[in-house]
Amino acid sequence: MSDHDHSSHDQTGRDITRAALRAAIPLFIPAIPFGLVLGVAITNSAMPTTVAWSTNIAVFAGAAQLATVSLAATATWLTLVATAAVINLRHVMYSAALSPRFNDQPRWFRWVGPFFLIDQLFALMSVRIDMPGPVWRRCYLSAGIFYFSSWTTVVTLGMLAGSSIPTEWRLDVAPAIMFAGLIVMGLANRPGIVAAIVGAAVCLLALDAPNNGGVLVGAISGVSAGYLADVAESRRAEQRAATARHR
Amino acid sequence: MSSFAAIAAVLSVGMITYASRAGLIVFLADRPLPANITRALRYVGPAVLSALTVNLVAGGQGIDGVEFVEVAAIGVAVVITAVTRNLIAALAAGMTALWLLLWLF
Repeated sequence: MSDHDHSSHDQTGRDITRAALRAAIPLFIPAIPFGLVLGVAITNSAMPTTVAWSTNIAVFAGAAQLATVSLAATATWLTLVATAAVINLRHVMYSAALSPRFNDQPRWFRWVGPFFLIDQLFALMSVRIDMPGPVWRRCYLSAGIFYFSSWTTVVTLGMLAGSSIPTEWRLDVAPAIMFAGLIVMGLANRPGIVAAIVGAAVCLLALDAPNNGGVLVGAISGVSAGYLADVAESRRAEQRAATARHR
Repeated sequence: MSSFAAIAAVLSVGMITYASRAGLIVFLADRPLPANITRALRYVGPAVLSALTVNLVAGGQGIDGVEFVEVAAIGVAVVITAVTRNLIAALAAGMTALWLLLWLF
């Protein structure tokens, strides 16, 4: 499990990379329509197209990129950045889960690795934590670089397609549909549903707040509601267990 | 949005994204997050994404920007995602519903 046991694994570097890519590709497929939608959103963005495109390299996080380029028309710098910060909070969760695996890694990798930590890479690497250090690192970087290059390619293809698609096709609605789908995919329990409904309802009520502040107010209310629902649910489960014991 | 404001926004969002991914790995290697924080972080995804969806539908025009066809298309996509767990199918169904409704009304 450390850098010392190179001899204990007989896989060559190329084998590891090949295995990493084989596991990484299926996870990328659902991201393709998202990337295309983002590409179209970039061409429609209030930002200069090159600047909006550069989010692929500077940000490399689909949801944060889509929010940045599509809110640019109506939001101030501060709301835009604050919204992206809230969207990115889930990455804190990922890095918390993976940080023990980074402890015995070289310093350069601890700085470079996190850049690639998108949802797919987390899904892939968090279940491979038992790999020896160097193998895990090679696997992580192979998959990470694959996701980075294919994501940039797909988004760029979306931009090329986007500029030739007539506006009557209403592809401007696609980002909202995509987000709605992502919410449903991510709903794992009842508190999650509470968080989503409260987030949407409060944002709807706060739509007239200046600078798209409704997103932030909605997000914060939704997270609080989800947290409270989670606490209430586990308390209820405890009570049920306690009454069961008494019988 | 001016080029300068756009570049500033993209760079800031980039730095925040990197910080949220790297902070715990680079600086706080061993210390785990408090349980309450991890518990709350779990609900960031659904809360933010649903607020963003509402905001995108309104399109910066407040409640007047909410179109019936858009809401209906999103409703179709939600149902299809729940049934199939497939985002591509959801996007296809949502857009088809949107085009059908636009053609009907």
